[in-house]
Amino acid sequence: MSFALTTALEQNAERALPKPIGIATTSILEHIRHGCFQRSLCLIVSATSVASGLEVGYEHYKGSYSNPIMYTPVLLSGALAGSSLLGVFSRWGAQVLLRCVSAATLADGVIGFFFHVRGVARKPGGWSLPVTNIVMGPPIFAPLLFGTSAYLGWMASYLRREEELHSVGAKVQEITSTLPGSSDWRRDLRHGRFQKHLSAITILWAFFSGFEALYSHYKSNFRYKAQWTPVLLTPLLMAAAAGAIKSPRIANTALPAVSALALADGAAGFYYHARGIAKRPGGLKKPLYNILYGPPIFAPLLFAACGFLGLLASLLRREREK
Amino acid sequence: MSMLNHHGHRLGSMQTLPAPMRKYADRETVDYCIVGAGSAGGVLAQRLARAGFRIVALEAGPFWDTEKDWVSDERGSHELYWNDLRITGGKDPLALGANNSGKGVGGGSVHWAAFAPRFHPSDFRVYSEDSVGADWPISYWDLKPYYELLEQEIPVAGPAWFPWGDPHGYPYGPHPLGGVGDVLVRGCAKLGLRSVAGGPVAILSASHGDRPHCIYRGFCIQGCKVGAKASTLITHVPDAIDHGAEIRALSMAARISLHDDGRVDGVLYIDRDGNEHFQRARAVIVSGYAIETPRLLLNSACSGHRHGLANSSGTLGQYLMAQAGNVVAGRFDELIRLYKAPPAHALSEEFYETDKRRDFARGFAIQTVGPLPAAFAKQMMNAMGAWGWGLRRVMMDMNHWATIGVLGEILPWEDNRVELAEEKDQYGLRVAKVTFNLHDNDKKLIEFGKKRVMEVMWAAGAEQVVQESRYAHLVGAARMGSDPATSVVDKFGRTHDIPNLFVCDGSILPTQGSANPGLTIQALAARTADYLIKQGDAIFFSNRRDQCEPGIRYDLSPPYTNFKGNPRVA
Amino acid sequence: MKQKSYPLRPTGGEIRDLAQPGYYSGFSTLAQKKKWDETTRQVVTERVEKVPPLRFFSSGEAELLTAIVSRVIPQDDRAADRMIPVHPAIDERLFKNELNGFRYEDMPPDREAYRLGLKAIDEMAQKRFHEPFVSLTVHRQELILKSLHDGKPDPAHRIWQRMPVHRFWTLLAEDCVTAYYSHPWAWDEIGFGGPAYPRGYMRLENGLPEPWEVDEQRYDWNAPVDSLSELDEQGAPPEQVLPQAHGSSS
Repeated sequence: MSFALTTALEQNAERALPKPIGIATTSILEHIRHGCFQRSLCLIVSATSVASGLEVGYEHYKGSYSNPIMYTPVLLSGALAGSSLLGVFSRWGAQVLLRCVSAATLADGVIGFFFHVRGVARKPGGWSLPVTNIVMGPPIFAPLLFGTSAYLGWMASYLRREEELHSVGAKVQEITSTLPGSSDWRRDLRHGRFQKHLSAITILWAFFSGFEALYSHYKSNFRYKAQWTPVLLTPLLMAAAAGAIKSPRIANTALPAVSALALADGAAGFYYHARGIAKRPGGLKKPLYNILYGPPIFAPLLFAACGFLGLLASLLRREREK
Repeated sequence: MSMLNHHGHRLGSMQTLPAPMRKYADRETVDYCIVGAGSAGGVLAQRLARAGFRIVALEAGPFWDTEKDWVSDERGSHELYWNDLRITGGKDPLALGANNSGKGVGGGSVHWAAFAPRFHPSDFRVYSEDSVGADWPISYWDLKPYYELLEQEIPVAGPAWFPWGDPHGYPYGPHPLGGVGDVLVRGCAKLGLRSVAGGPVAILSASHGDRPHCIYRGFCIQGCKVGAKASTLITHVPDAIDHGAEIRALSMAARISLHDDGRVDGVLYIDRDGNEHFQRARAVIVSGYAIETPRLLLNSACSGHRHGLANSSGTLGQYLMAQAGNVVAGRFDELIRLYKAPPAHALSEEFYETDKRRDFARGFAIQTVGPLPAAFAKQMMNAMGAWGWGLRRVMMDMNHWATIGVLGEILPWEDNRVELAEEKDQYGLRVAKVTFNLHDNDKKLIEFGKKRVMEVMWAAGAEQVVQESRYAHLVGAARMGSDPATSVVDKFGRTHDIPNLFVCDGSILPTQGSANPGLTIQALAARTADYLIKQGDAIFFSNRRDQCEPGIRYDLSPPYTNFKGNPRVA
Repeated sequence: MKQKSYPLRPTGGEIRDLAQPGYYSGFSTLAQKKKWDETTRQVVTERVEKVPPLRFFSSGEAELLTAIVSRVIPQDDRAADRMIPVHPAIDERLFKNELNGFRYEDMPPDREAYRLGLKAIDEMAQKRFHEPFVSLTVHRQELILKSLHDGKPDPAHRIWQRMPVHRFWTLLAEDCVTAYYSHPWAWDEIGFGGPAYPRGYMRLENGLPEPWEVDEQRYDWNAPVDSLSELDEQGAPPEQVLPQAHGSSS
């Protein structure tokens, strides 16, 4: 049951796709299902941390680095990008370095969250003007959202490497892990058994990202109808992910469907935001300023990342019953 | 010495006045008596107090409590300006008061729009390069480190790369654009002119110590209740008080007293109840700005100085300058809502320098302006001749209009001057008479400038464009120079005639460029302070005139100066 | 005798008794006063609720000034209880002798300038129409004032040889617009957001309204047919020697 989606996908891929691609697809799905995609995830983490490093870099530039602590997420993004890139090639890099850097980055996100809450409180009127000050203050959930790639990195550090899929040792481990009393979240992660876990994370991240979309689109008065889409998709995605925790069926049906929508919406949003930047006064003649103060170019990608998390969750195996 | 408690006195939305403030008795001799606690006076008091001098700053206006005294309202902000009588005349008389003169602690920096560009290197060599105006006794490079330091202290928000003059970047990030800035940037881009967005302005684009981020309410020139816009009231005066300076508000300086030895020994002033006092001081710095400074020196005439203190050259009061401030208004089909965002937030200096192809020397800047309803109504009256139903109609359309200003350099001319009128003010002091005439170069520059800005407005898509002639800023009238025969003060602001009398404010500027003078005035004040500190007691006891550069002190800045702001590109 | 004249809808019909002229129906700055700071709330509320008593002008002068002011900044379209007090603001300024920081060398002090100006206007009315200014029709009042606005007093009057007519006009008109456009009801009319502290603005670009502002709802209207104060069709600035205004610094 828990493989319903992947099995169906695999069968379809074998039948419908040209042979080499079909084989590749089934192989990818198998790697995901068994948690053997550490290198690939490291590569993805590396890319996303470059993106989030750029974003926090320019957002904090707007905030003038008026507190030196504002440099930490920029530096940690660099470290995260570096360590996850190392993790692609080195098992130690992935399992030790990446894990430490990811944990530090996650902690930094939580600290940043407190600073952003404080920043809103310190604006004239403070929390008595919640709407104005959340919209105009430091983006309140951005530091937590910034943790997305750190979280993925942390997860990647527990996965198995691609080449371990059919290794003997792995098989033994797989079997011993089924023995009573050996249930352990780390082992579940290693074997791709963390669907519920990832679904829960998807709920959180969808909330953070959707809230950002809500207030920043509210700030521009929902001038375009499309600005409603991430706001409307967010509760759907959260509901689907919540359902996926309860029901394997939803994890295999609604979750991937809504996640795919979110992914597509994020991609469309990226296009619209890029177009919005180009249409600003001065357009591409003032690229830096317009990226700074135009529609935030990376924000739709972060929303798309929620979709990615949801999709990934739907392709995983469920945790073992305790 | 007594202590005065200022508990709960607010400076901006978060900061409070340090309590208690040191208070000197009149009979106590202080080291420096500074007349005027404005842009220059605030910085001087802060620096000198940090260096351990005993400082009293006399301020004619009140010590503002920003929460109780200031309002988020155009008409209610009348008290921020120097509203006492002055006579204005000449062929092109200047409007004074709200336009250019502040009163109260913080002075003009309380109601400036806070554009804070630097002067260009060429501004210091106008005579050498263009055979008009005057050269400064210092160069841009003498002032550059002070520009950088003050940009960090107050601090200035702006682009990472400012391409004109000596190119540089700003410590705080640029602000978002409002509707008017959008128009300026769009119009300039269409015409292939470079522009910068979101600065340089001395308005916080991020919180800074106990001052919050700008809230984009557009009431900059009504006094920033938020505390985001820099004024010496909130940037330097609190630190001055922390280090033992006394800011004595509601004290109108009447006369500077000259001792038999040819040195000044104090300032006669009048308190809020009309009582006369005499503050003894070992040296006096006049920082009253371009009208009150020459007025005080002229009113201090005595035997040996019949035509005013420090006026042996006869140039005291002369070479007064205002900048051309023509406002070009354009009506757009779409809504602009020009009252949002700080009035100052985008500019272009493409026409700043002399261009040999034009028939005049020097140039102008293009800047956003953001009048509130009453000011905008007056602009429409002047620009369109609107009145009655016509005025009602155009005002109903206010949200469709955008306004961009010319800021044009007017050269220093001998016949533009401050003198004393026969009339007297409420203190019984003769009031200033200001005479202002445009000369040929100025007229050509203004004509050219307003045409260019109108083109920008058309290029941005305006369907109707009108303009109003006006002026902004006041500088000059006690200019600095190397030659005592043609200037009032030397390159450190020391009067040529009296060794312990200094002038430090906008009035010492020999020329003015097309940059708003606020930052330059503060940079000059910091430099003069460094000089005075380096000279130490020699100022008080010696008549020797040391002309060596003091070297910049980085340890005298107010708190929150270091480890703040974006890394500078240049 | 007609003391009021009303703007017209293009389809016909007078525009009168409006609680709120302008294109922002439903917008009220005063409704936001809970969001203002205490000092500002006091100042602005007092402006609306406490109209200062007449203390500088005599009742005759005040009546004349009211007639003049009603043409310089006409409010005939406003309902009687929504008229913005303009002449009391001028009276208060002169009573307190509040200056704007300067006086032109060719001008008498403001108090004297007003007294002279009022006298000249009334005598011009007598000379040209053989009636006091206050009794003239709106059109005739505008004829006199337009001649001052244009800098060519008709009929000529000796006072204008002593006091430059364009400076007096600017003094008068600036005081009128300052009083009118400092009033919250005028802010509602033109869609200005009013006081903005501690709550500032979120939507800076593209003319977007704040959540508590109202979007523009334009309609056409024509100035009264007998009015001389409508803008030129082109809106071209007339070539006149006006001094620059007082107002904002930059």
